[in-house]
Amino acid sequence: MGRIALHGVTKNFGDTEVIRPLDLEIEDGEFVVFVGPSGCGKSTLLRLIAGLEDVTAGRIEIDGTDATGVPPAKRGLAMVFQSYALYPHMSVRKNIAFPMRMAGIDKVEQNRRIDAAAAALNLTDYLDRRPGQLSGGQRQRVAIGRAIVREPAAFLFDEPLSNLDAALRVGMRMEISELHTRLKTTMVYVTHDQVEAMTMADKIVVLQDGVIEQVGSPLDLYREPRNLFVAGFIGSPKMNLMTGDEAVRRGATTFGIRPEHIIASPSEGLWQGTVGVSEHLGSDTFFHVHMKDHPAPITVRAGGEVSLHHGDTIYLTPDETRIHRFDVQGMRLT
Amino acid sequence: MATKASRSAARVMIAPSVLLLLGWMLIPLALTLYFSVLRYNLLMPGANPFVGVENYTYFLTDPAFTDAIINTLLLVGGVLTITVLGGIALAILLDQPMWGQGIVRILVIAPFFVMPTVSALVWKNMFMNPVNGLFAYLAKAIGMQPFDFFAAAPLASIIGIVSWQWLPFATLILLTAMQSLDSEQLEAAEMDGAGPLARFRHIMLPHMARAITVVILIQTIFLLSIFAEILVTTNGGPGTASTNLTFLVYAESLLRFDVGTGSAGGVVAIILANIVAIFLMRMIGKNLDT
Repeated sequence: MGRIALHGVTKNFGDTEVIRPLDLEIEDGEFVVFVGPSGCGKSTLLRLIAGLEDVTAGRIEIDGTDATGVPPAKRGLAMVFQSYALYPHMSVRKNIAFPMRMAGIDKVEQNRRIDAAAAALNLTDYLDRRPGQLSGGQRQRVAIGRAIVREPAAFLFDEPLSNLDAALRVGMRMEISELHTRLKTTMVYVTHDQVEAMTMADKIVVLQDGVIEQVGSPLDLYREPRNLFVAGFIGSPKMNLMTGDEAVRRGATTFGIRPEHIIASPSEGLWQGTVGVSEHLGSDTFFHVHMKDHPAPITVRAGGEVSLHHGDTIYLTPDETRIHRFDVQGMRLT
Repeated sequence: MATKASRSAARVMIAPSVLLLLGWMLIPLALTLYFSVLRYNLLMPGANPFVGVENYTYFLTDPAFTDAIINTLLLVGGVLTITVLGGIALAILLDQPMWGQGIVRILVIAPFFVMPTVSALVWKNMFMNPVNGLFAYLAKAIGMQPFDFFAAAPLASIIGIVSWQWLPFATLILLTAMQSLDSEQLEAAEMDGAGPLARFRHIMLPHMARAITVVILIQTIFLLSIFAEILVTTNGGPGTASTNLTFLVYAESLLRFDVGTGSAGGVVAIILANIVAIFLMRMIGKNLDT
């Protein structure tokens, strides 16, 4: 079981309020991702759940019992750190065994769990090496192994992939997702990368300045961002946001349209602009289009093999059913 | 340094300093070896005949020699134990966030800047003196007999003084080691269920192991040649109770004016220091490899 509930949790560092009063429910077996720009308090929130920081006010419940004052080791949670935090002087085997050794689990059971974890994580050949002799991805797996053997109620991941190169990151992302489907244990995952959030999460929690901006499934957030911040943060490339006449005509202060919901044509369309930078990815092409009365370039997704070049005239037509409208406060209009 | 020409040019240019350093080392060593096989006493001028290993036999069979060896080992061992254990404790304490951290750290390091003769004299006259010393005063204040440190426990007193001087060094090195410990490792251990003692035993101590070996190595080099503290406090006495090898060589050559035996003692000291060095280098090598 791994149900975590936060009630009115706040955290201050001195005079700065890092987490404003915040409520959140994490269901058993859910994969929850905290996402937000750096300094938004997402790591602090995770550390509050882990017990590595004390809450300033509020209550944290794990499986229905109050865990606010419970020391980290007694909460039944396992954490994977950004730097992996492996013990450099111990072999991989000893690293993985450490939490069980501290819990006083007998040797036979220890070895059984180590072997099972090593087999699951492809670490069997590396058990006698030191962390210093492993690659980044392998170290990451050792850190996960050390978390698995504790059989925790929930896993906490603090930006675990940010030290890996791009290719490895995609691979590890899959492995962690697969691990979640296999173990069906609650996972709380912190990242600043919205792609990781979209691909892995059952539920995304978007944070900014210590406030939850929106909670929902990846597609909810994609389809109906609650405010301008979420609209700009979720989706890659970013949603185009326009103000002025175009917005007023649609009854909003700001309106947004995603690059993939604009039809680009060399001959006809609603808006006229010139092509600036174009990014050819093979499967897709992204054009940055400059329009006369709109300062920021509009990003448009077109098919992979559209041949338009820098300086060409392009016509854009937004899909009016997929536009997002926001009021003066930046909240979504329905 | 890629071409043949530049390599030989480098060799030519480096040669003077190498020769200078070699001369600096080899000439005194050769002279010491030479004197150690002569009967050479400044009180008996005249011929200095070659006597072979007589000086060595004399030095090594002198009962003071055994005492000096034991005292040297006790002095080095005692100071190392106190400074390493104390250094670990102080480093962990000073690593805690606290008010006035900067000033406290400077205060802790201060004894290291006091020169050995001065600190030994301060300890001898202001603290350990059985009549005027602070400890005597404190003892009398609670109605106890003042303890005559240098008469009753000369070597232990010197160990105390030297430890006081070297504790800051150990603390400084170990504190920097503590500060380089990744806090995430401690947090991971905390989440893994390790209490404060287990964290110290399994995370902090292994992390500091390398720094501890460095402290032991450097201190041993300096502690083998402790001299000033003995000279200004006990003069090696009472008897030979606080004479170490360095002081014995001094006593032979400059108190008894026996240059030959003094040189022999010097050679013996060099050999012993090298034996210690070999052991230490092995230990360090093992620790620095990983």
